[in-house]
Amino acid sequence: MTVDRTALIGRPLRAANNTVSEVDVNDFLGVVAEPDFGPADGSESAAAVASGRLAPPSFAPFVAVLGLLKTFDWQDDFLFDYRTGTAMFGEQSIAFHRPLLLGESVAISAVISDVYEKQGKQTFDVVEVTFDIKRREAGDLLMSGQQSYILFK
Amino acid sequence: MTAPLSKAWFEDYEVAMALPSVELGPMDRYDYIPIALILRDTNPLHLDRVYAQERGLHDVVQQGPLNQAYLYRYFTSLLHDPWDLVATKMRFAANVFPDDILTCGGEVLAVAPTEAGGGIVTCAVWQRNQKGETILKGEAKARVPSRG
Repeated sequence: MTVDRTALIGRPLRAANNTVSEVDVNDFLGVVAEPDFGPADGSESAAAVASGRLAPPSFAPFVAVLGLLKTFDWQDDFLFDYRTGTAMFGEQSIAFHRPLLLGESVAISAVISDVYEKQGKQTFDVVEVTFDIKRREAGDLLMSGQQSYILFK
Repeated sequence: MTAPLSKAWFEDYEVAMALPSVELGPMDRYDYIPIALILRDTNPLHLDRVYAQERGLHDVVQQGPLNQAYLYRYFTSLLHDPWDLVATKMRFAANVFPDDILTCGGEVLAVAPTEAGGGIVTCAVWQRNQKGETILKGEAKARVPSRG
């Protein structure tokens, strides 16, 4: 049965929170050695935020991907059976409004902004999600953008 | 990539100018374990070679955000401050596998001075493997200060 996902356009996804975890960033820096960013000392998050230590911009896609995955359910929101279907990331665009601080808690809001079918070797739907990532308490905007997901039919 | 790239000033950039390209690798399958933990994504496609081979791939697939991270690192290493990054737009075109050698590069698409001095530089950026296949392609935009 062919699924028509165009009715999903405009659907707000669930609000989600995430933390720019020092542990994650340290593990990340162990793989992606960044010349301008050394590992943090492992102090607790509140102290890290207060100290203003920055995560590298190269970690930003991880914050977006992780945060967005918390905003939707493949089946409920994308009408997609993840157990039997094949999905992959499509295009991602991000505007950066200010640096990410180690340890800060962020809030992600997202909406399905577009759905369209494309034909390559296979037919697939592109589900485009538009998102904002803000600091959880203060509400200042950190990142905004779009992430598309490719759902093969 | 170990040595930092030279950091150009706004006056140094011209449209159609090629950015220095940088080679990195070989990619290491053991890096996929911490990346899987960071992404909370234990998809065996990234970790289990037999599982990947059963699905027609010759080896496990490197996680897409890690490919992106290498391209971000490349581009931001050209900047005086990595957080002068303004925006990115990237599209995944192919998979990366263990032992691949990646090359990152780019070209200046636009330069726009700002009233405060310096300006915004927009670049096409890309990442290719040792076969010349495009892994990632897109654009990156950054603030670049004036030499003053």
